[in-house]
Amino acid sequence: MKTLTLAVLLQVGSALACDGLVVEQGWIRPPMPGMGMTAGYARLSNHGRRPLAVEEVSSPDFVGTELHRTLVENGVSRMRPGLPLPLAPGAVQTLEPGEYHLMLFEPKRPLKVGDSVLVEFRCGTQSMQAPFTLRLEIP
Amino acid sequence: MASNSRNLVPAFAALAALGLGVFAATQFYPPAVAKFDSGIYLPQSRAVGAFELTDQDDQPFTNAQLQGHWTILFAGFTHCPDVCPSTLSLLKHLSDRMLQSGRRLDTVFLSVDPERDTPEQLLSYVRYFSPDFTGISGSKQQLDSLTASLGLAYVKVPGASDADYTMDHSAAMVLLNPEGQVAGYFQPPFKIDLLASDLERVIPRTP
Repeated sequence: MKTLTLAVLLQVGSALACDGLVVEQGWIRPPMPGMGMTAGYARLSNHGRRPLAVEEVSSPDFVGTELHRTLVENGVSRMRPGLPLPLAPGAVQTLEPGEYHLMLFEPKRPLKVGDSVLVEFRCGTQSMQAPFTLRLEIP
Repeated sequence: MASNSRNLVPAFAALAALGLGVFAATQFYPPAVAKFDSGIYLPQSRAVGAFELTDQDDQPFTNAQLQGHWTILFAGFTHCPDVCPSTLSLLKHLSDRMLQSGRRLDTVFLSVDPERDTPEQLLSYVRYFSPDFTGISGSKQQLDSLTASLGLAYVKVPGASDADYTMDHSAAMVLLNPEGQVAGYFQPPFKIDLLASDLERVIPRTP
C-alpha cells in the first residue's frame, strides 16, 4: 500500500514538474507609447515522457505577467485566463496572435526592438526561464 | 476594296471602344454581386443610421466622414494586447497594398472602451500603426447607436478591480462603401492575401 501511495505521489509530482518543457521562438511586441502592457508569443512543447502543466508565468522585466487565451465564440472575441496550460508528452502549444499569448504589464525598464527579456514558466515546484526578443512582426 | 477598308475603320473603332468600356467597367466599378473568400459581401448594401462619435483629434466623426471612399472598420480597445495590435498591423499592410494597386481604403478603429480610450489615448494608439488611421469612440449611448447599426456587439467584462477589466467585442471587420453603407463583413482569422483579393474585387482603381 505504501509503495502504491508513493508511486501515486511520484506520478502526481512528476506531472507538475517542468521537465521536458521547451520554449522556442519567443518574441514580445514592444509596448506601444503610453501603454503599460504588451503581448508575447512562443512555441511551447513537451519533450518529456510525462504530462506537465504550466501553472504560472512571470518575468523579471515586467511588473506582472499572465497567460491568456483569445477565443472567438459566436462571432465575439473574448480574452480569458489561459492557465493552467497542460502539455501531454510530445504536445506542442503555440502562443500566437489571436490564440494563447502572454500578457505583460508595466515594463521595469525601457524596452526597444532587438532587446531580450526573460520569461519564467513555473510547473509545480519547478521552473525554467526562456529568452524572448522584442520584435515588431511575427518572425 | 479601299471602300471596304474605310468601312472597317469605324467598326474596329467601335469594337475598341466597347473593349475599353468593358475594361473600364471591370477596373473602375465593382461587380453587382461579389463573393468574398474571407467573409460576406452583402447582395444589397445596408444603410448606417445617423451617428456622431469623436475622433482622435477630438473632432466629430459622423456618417459624413464615411462618404466618398471605401472604409474598413475594426472594433476593439487599446488595452487589448493581442488581437487589436495584430489586426491593426495587418490593416496597415492591407491599406498599403491597396494603395500600391491604385485603390484607396481608409481604416477606422472603433474603440468600445470609452472609459480608458480618450481622444489623446486613441491618437497615440492609432498613430503608432499609421498616420492615416482614424480612431473613434464616444459615450455608451453613441457607441450603442453605431454598433447596433453596424451589427456589432460589445460588453464590459469585470476583472479583479474596477480598473482591471476587459472588453468582449465582435471579431468581424466591417466594410463600408463610398456611400457610407455596410457593404460586407470579414471574419477572422484574417489573412492578408485573401482580404486583398476580396477587396480588389469590389474596390475600383482610382481612375
